[in-house]
Amino acid sequence: MIPSQFEFRAPTTVDEAVELLSNGMDVKVLAGGQSLLPVLKLRMADPEMVVSLTKVDALRGVRRDGDQLVIGAMTTHAEVATDPLIAAHAGLVGKVAGTIADPQVRNRGTIGGAVVHADPAGDMGGALLASDAQMTIAGPTGTRTVPAAEFFVDFFTTAVDEDELLTEIRLPVFDGWGADYQKFTRVAQQWSIVAAGAMVRTSGDQIAEARVVLTNMDSVPRRATAVEQALAGVPVTEEAVASACAAAAEGTNPTSDLNGDAEYRRHLATVLTRRAVLAAAGHRGT
Amino acid sequence: MELTHHFEVPASKETTWQTFNDLEQVVPCFPGATLTEVDGDEFTGQVKVKIGPISLTYQGTGRFVERDEAAGKIVLEASGKDRRGNGNAGATVTAVLTETADGTAVDVNTDLDIGGKPAQFGRGMIQSISNKMLQRFLDCIRSKMTDEQPTGTP
Amino acid sequence: MTIMEERQAEIGRPRPRKEDARLITGRSRYTDNITLPGMLHLAMVRSPLARARITGIDTSAAASAPGVVQVLTGADLAAEQGSMPNAWPITPEQKTPPHPAVAVDTVNFAGEIVAVVIARSAAAARDASELIDVDYEDLPVVTDLATAARDEEVIHPDLGTNRSATWVFDSAQAGTGGDVEEALANSEVVIERTFTQQRLIPAFMEPRSTVVDPTGEQITMWSATQIPHVLRVMLALTLGVPESKLRVIAPDVGGGFGGKLQVTPEEVITLLAARRVGKPCKYTETRSETMMGAHHGRDQLQTLRLGANRDGTVTGLDVRLLADMGAYLGLITSGIPILGAFMYNGIYKFSAYRFECTNVFTNKVWTDAYRGAGRPEATFAIERMMDELATELGMDPIEVRRKNWIAHEEFPFTTVASLEYDSGNYEAATDKALELFDYEGLRAEQRRRRESGDPVQLGIGVSTFTEMCGLAPSRVLGALDYGAGGWEYAQVRVLPTGNVEVVTGVSPHGQGHVTAWSQIVADRLGVPFENVEVLYGDTQVAQRGMDTYGSRSLAVGGMAVVAATDKVVEKAKQVAAHMLEAATEDIEFSGGQFSVRGTDQGVSFNDVALATFAAHDLPDGFEPSLDSDATFDPENFSFPHGTHLAAMEVDTETGQVRVHKYVCVDDVGHVINPLIVDGQVHGGLAQGIAQALFEEAIYDESGTLLTGSFTEYLVPSAPDLPEFTVDRTYTPATTNVLGVKGVGEAGTIASTPAIVNGILDAIRHLGVEDVPMPCSPSRVWNAIQQARTSGQQAPEPEVAP
Repeated sequence: MIPSQFEFRAPTTVDEAVELLSNGMDVKVLAGGQSLLPVLKLRMADPEMVVSLTKVDALRGVRRDGDQLVIGAMTTHAEVATDPLIAAHAGLVGKVAGTIADPQVRNRGTIGGAVVHADPAGDMGGALLASDAQMTIAGPTGTRTVPAAEFFVDFFTTAVDEDELLTEIRLPVFDGWGADYQKFTRVAQQWSIVAAGAMVRTSGDQIAEARVVLTNMDSVPRRATAVEQALAGVPVTEEAVASACAAAAEGTNPTSDLNGDAEYRRHLATVLTRRAVLAAAGHRGT
Repeated sequence: MELTHHFEVPASKETTWQTFNDLEQVVPCFPGATLTEVDGDEFTGQVKVKIGPISLTYQGTGRFVERDEAAGKIVLEASGKDRRGNGNAGATVTAVLTETADGTAVDVNTDLDIGGKPAQFGRGMIQSISNKMLQRFLDCIRSKMTDEQPTGTP
Repeated sequence: MTIMEERQAEIGRPRPRKEDARLITGRSRYTDNITLPGMLHLAMVRSPLARARITGIDTSAAASAPGVVQVLTGADLAAEQGSMPNAWPITPEQKTPPHPAVAVDTVNFAGEIVAVVIARSAAAARDASELIDVDYEDLPVVTDLATAARDEEVIHPDLGTNRSATWVFDSAQAGTGGDVEEALANSEVVIERTFTQQRLIPAFMEPRSTVVDPTGEQITMWSATQIPHVLRVMLALTLGVPESKLRVIAPDVGGGFGGKLQVTPEEVITLLAARRVGKPCKYTETRSETMMGAHHGRDQLQTLRLGANRDGTVTGLDVRLLADMGAYLGLITSGIPILGAFMYNGIYKFSAYRFECTNVFTNKVWTDAYRGAGRPEATFAIERMMDELATELGMDPIEVRRKNWIAHEEFPFTTVASLEYDSGNYEAATDKALELFDYEGLRAEQRRRRESGDPVQLGIGVSTFTEMCGLAPSRVLGALDYGAGGWEYAQVRVLPTGNVEVVTGVSPHGQGHVTAWSQIVADRLGVPFENVEVLYGDTQVAQRGMDTYGSRSLAVGGMAVVAATDKVVEKAKQVAAHMLEAATEDIEFSGGQFSVRGTDQGVSFNDVALATFAAHDLPDGFEPSLDSDATFDPENFSFPHGTHLAAMEVDTETGQVRVHKYVCVDDVGHVINPLIVDGQVHGGLAQGIAQALFEEAIYDESGTLLTGSFTEYLVPSAPDLPEFTVDRTYTPATTNVLGVKGVGEAGTIASTPAIVNGILDAIRHLGVEDVPMPCSPSRVWNAIQQARTSGQQAPEPEVAP
């Protein structure tokens, strides 16, 4: 790989890193590098400085803080996928992390890097949306918190400004919820063509509460609120869930590309949502 | 690729026409665009496109190829190339203004041709992204027309 | 039989490959690992446009950039670069456009080289390449094959047409069969279909790289190539450098699949650059450059008419092809579809056949050899047509094939396409495959799912195949106007200690020749496997050779090794006879021991080797060396065959396709190393399945390659493929003493139609008649939707005979 020349900094604290972002140069932040490095390699970006966060230890790891889980922005997908706290209290986030790309990418790529990159086909955004995540952003004037619902702004654009840094992601504890993520790809390591994530709390044979999110159905991850409402109180059967999920694609704005047109994506969203909800509700069947 | 947009402004066709014909107003409305020189119907400028980690700078020229005030039709052509050889881009923007009861309706058809790396590595998102950028471009033009509207006029 | 005895020794053993320990622990030496003192680096500037006139190139900023030694444009090189060679003019009238290594006036595909930077580091070269400002004047782009064939816009105006050549084989004219129009007219059923062979990218693991050292007595080129010998000749012919002043070395080469069977502009440029600056130069491409600038494969439009009688007997086949050459003719671009011409009849014995192919230029990178080269296209067509026939007649696809294939007692068999198949046993391979597959069980499962309306339907895809391997008898190549012969060379050198060096003219790039050749020679000389060293890939080591492609290495190159080894034994017998004071005719050789027939007297191979080296006491007039060489020219091709069965699951709700079970029984003749053969089959299956399901090089209408990275060009990995059940039958080739046939392309050729036939079998009852490749979920789903919609609107239309 031969990128354009740039200055390289590897600060050890968040403060140092934030300071570097406001130095007047065109700076890119390097987390796990799984999206930035290909772009540098292709020379479709030529930053004057690259600030690596790999030495900022404070940004790594998962911990519990009262009734919240705190995930450091530099925690790798592999760590998120296998973390017992996440598995116990934020099932969808863990499941989604395990589907991202391939093992090599999961071992290098980080949750913070992925969500700040904000690729519309990125998987983690939807899981954070469904989990009511709070995103902690550090900037020159201090720290602010943005809910996931306001974090994703557009294609590759988030609430994080150029002089800011995502430092951690806080998740409320979801106990007693089932979760499933239906990711549709042609080959295993591919970006999601469409994916649907579901978190479901059941009561007896009924769905008490459901959260449903869609990946790559718009420029940002989308919550299927109409479906969520329709699912409340619905029995866990194929027919009832299918009927509640029929409108999954409503209001979405999917793209057309080599893997399928918008109409196909809308159809997939409906099928995948039904499957994700049924699986999250513990329905055994197809 | 062909992209179409439609919007309406509460301004007369004549005002709208004038705004559309003013390169100094129109060109900088495009996200990331700066005008370096205007010479009659022709201009040179550059567009800095930043999408996530990608940043490209297209340098190029443009001109009016058709201006038919009677028909309310303007055709603007621009083409440029990335300064690092990442690819070329060209656009032909055709705007047709029609008088309506409340002002002017503008139909914009853009024939966009993006070659090289952005097309090659864009995973098919170019169309959606271009569409958004054009929308911002037109929103900006519309706001200029709206702003210039003297208060109180219907 | 001696061969059988030897097979129990080394031949037939699943030896782990000798070369692997080095290759997988980073002790490999690829071209890009080569660093020479004072070496300079190249970077290419490539056109982002598919067709344009170059109106100006400003190199001044690049020329004065740090570390830059020189910048070269097409104009600078025009006088010396010649035209890239095409070695296979398929007709005397073939239209061949000039193909400069660096474009001079016009570019004709996106990715074509327009300027070259020579600098002190690869980074400096790359940085400076971005400073070169090229002005282009757009010209109309033609990317669609059928459109190009209509000549509405002529890509190379001097040629007057986009049609490069038309090549015809007609069994009536060749005397190998009847007239196809007559046969079709008299058939009870005629099926007409059009298939698209999509464009594929070879996707070898190691990007191409070339180092040229001009400082010695010879110009030495290291290159990631399959063909060092062909490359040397072609460079000499193209550039006018005396052949004796060129040495070409293919060091470790990381895969090729035909993609490195080429003489490339990059190789020519690196040589010219090195010669200009008088210093070693290196060029290593990026993966993006591989995707855009290295030749692609396939890209044909096939129109087929198959005639048959209601009992299933095929009466004739008419094949019309449009073959997409891309912008230029590479080394054998023009001949690739012709390699398929002899295979459209597959394993069948129908009596009339006509093949017509028109080669057409488009504004895309040129096509050329890619795994199977012409033969996968042919096999796909005939195997899809056999399934269409079975559907039309309501027959089981296996039965239709049984009805038409050449029975094993009919060999040798001269086909309607004029080839003589020496051996084969299609019955045995098919029976074994059916048994391993549990054909009846899966058919029952298919019925169950169909009746219950299971959203995941099951289909069974059948494919048989044979291919012409062991390229090639030189006289056949001559008859086809190919520019060279098809022989192969080997030398066996006996060292004083009894170690053996085998020099082979083939050029391995992942196939395991070192191991297989060691096994062959170890058996024939009775020396330990470990004592055999195999040398290759350097025109000063292996002074002759025709290199590696077309499943030829073992059937042709291995036979040259056998012939050279036999000569060594003949010489050694004379020395042994002298040492044992016996007559040469009385010397027997077995298991590394020379003995006098009927006695217990003997000397070992090592003793003979040492005695020959010392040369103190040799027979009068005996030249003191056991070293021998041989050149083998095959009498005929070899014809491996096999039966492949794929059970395909189609999720009718999403269009997602999954390989549920895959069984293949190949007959590649005798097997030297079953581990290597299994590996070749597995890799081949992956590539063939990839064509059916995943891979497609897509250009947009302005000629930009939209699948320019592995994000969009979908190469499958292990999780996307099933467990393969790989087995074999053994019907030895009769045309070589090893009884081998070749296995490199088998999996790729047979698997593509098996997969597509399986998908169609799963959803044909829904009204789907075809899904174009690659059968992506969206295409499968759309086909189902369309079938459902049209099924609702109108009663099911009768398939017109």
